[in-house]
Amino acid sequence: MVHRDWTDRLLDTMISSDRTAAAEIISQALASGIAPMLVITDILDPALVRLGRRWEQETLSLAQGFVAAKIAEDAMLRCIPERTDQYPTKGVAVIGNIEDDFHSLGRRTVALFLAAAGWEVHDLGNDVPAEQFIDTALAVNASVIGASAMMQTTALNIRRLRELIDSRGLQQRLKLAVGGAVFNWRPDLVAEVGGDGTARNAVNADELFMRLQSAARAGGRP
Amino acid sequence: MTTDTVWLSCGVLRAEMEALHQRGLIKGKLLFLDSMLHMDPPALEATLTRLLEKDADTPRCLVLAYGDCCSRMLDLVRRFRVGRVNAINCAQLLLGRDRYRQLMHQEAFLVLPEWAGRWEEIMQHELGLTRTVAHDLMRETRSVLVYLDTGLAPVPAQEMAAFSAYSGLPWQVEVVNLEIMLSQLLAAQNEAQTNPLVEVNFP
Repeated sequence: MVHRDWTDRLLDTMISSDRTAAAEIISQALASGIAPMLVITDILDPALVRLGRRWEQETLSLAQGFVAAKIAEDAMLRCIPERTDQYPTKGVAVIGNIEDDFHSLGRRTVALFLAAAGWEVHDLGNDVPAEQFIDTALAVNASVIGASAMMQTTALNIRRLRELIDSRGLQQRLKLAVGGAVFNWRPDLVAEVGGDGTARNAVNADELFMRLQSAARAGGRP
Repeated sequence: MTTDTVWLSCGVLRAEMEALHQRGLIKGKLLFLDSMLHMDPPALEATLTRLLEKDADTPRCLVLAYGDCCSRMLDLVRRFRVGRVNAINCAQLLLGRDRYRQLMHQEAFLVLPEWAGRWEEIMQHELGLTRTVAHDLMRETRSVLVYLDTGLAPVPAQEMAAFSAYSGLPWQVEVVNLEIMLSQLLAAQNEAQTNPLVEVNFP
């Protein structure tokens, strides 16, 4: 069976929210001799990308989205240990929901997708003060911070994080990715809160974080 | 001035708003929109915009008893110079920021009285969550259901027990008086009175 067929089958289980069947497909793929890393990159990742398109087209329900994320998490937990022994990480990222924001599902999905793409992710959880984002980023030597907010009022709390980054002279070293539903509805908020970039969904987070990391390493603006 | 105030509120707070009105603590006209608009933020935004545009040339004091329930709620406040309660959602309006954050850090799923009677309609029909998926989703992100008892109706123990069984989470009651909500409403009214309702054209 070619990898595309495995992807098709896995995508079907995600759409039908069948976590058990998905686990069985991953087991079969591994049992057939496909390396764990290839299960992630050639089977799981394409399924997630196609799922992301459906999400953008709004043909996916919250329930389907949640179960798909759980299926991806299940698959990663089975495949990542071996993979991380063999492959270096792409970089280090610190993510969290900004102060007063408690909508964790999107952030958790982003963490999952970044980890799947090869990032070392430090997820600080919900209601994270600006200071904690920066202190953690410096402690773990991250060059990208991802701040999530669901609503306009909480998104505006990201301005405090922007101000702190700038006031501490870290704007060249630390890049600020922002995300969450409200940024999709009104992209102008990205600039208003001082974000260096955003992604419409978790699937595109890897590309955004790579771009921002490159900019940070170059010491310039993205 | 206070008798001219229009209180435009989400229907999820109807009982609480009416109680404050009947007690003479807020004066003026009460207007409510269907709480199910919360499930469709663009529709809520369009409805609010229509209502505010309709009254844009009428000089009166208008207060929005809404959280940050659509993507341009703050823009509506600025554009029409209305007052709005300083809360991100209705639960925070009832609890206050500090208690709300405490409960959220305890991973509480907050249940308002109006919502309690229609949990099944929302979780199963609006969100499409089967019992199995709901169990996974709720237990993944929450630890307890907390019913916010505003004292205006008996605690719906039967409904909460059913929701508990469906979600796999235990449930408890948080007694809430309306003092915090009242102070927020009056602060928003004061804001509206200093910025009378008139449309401002933004570039």
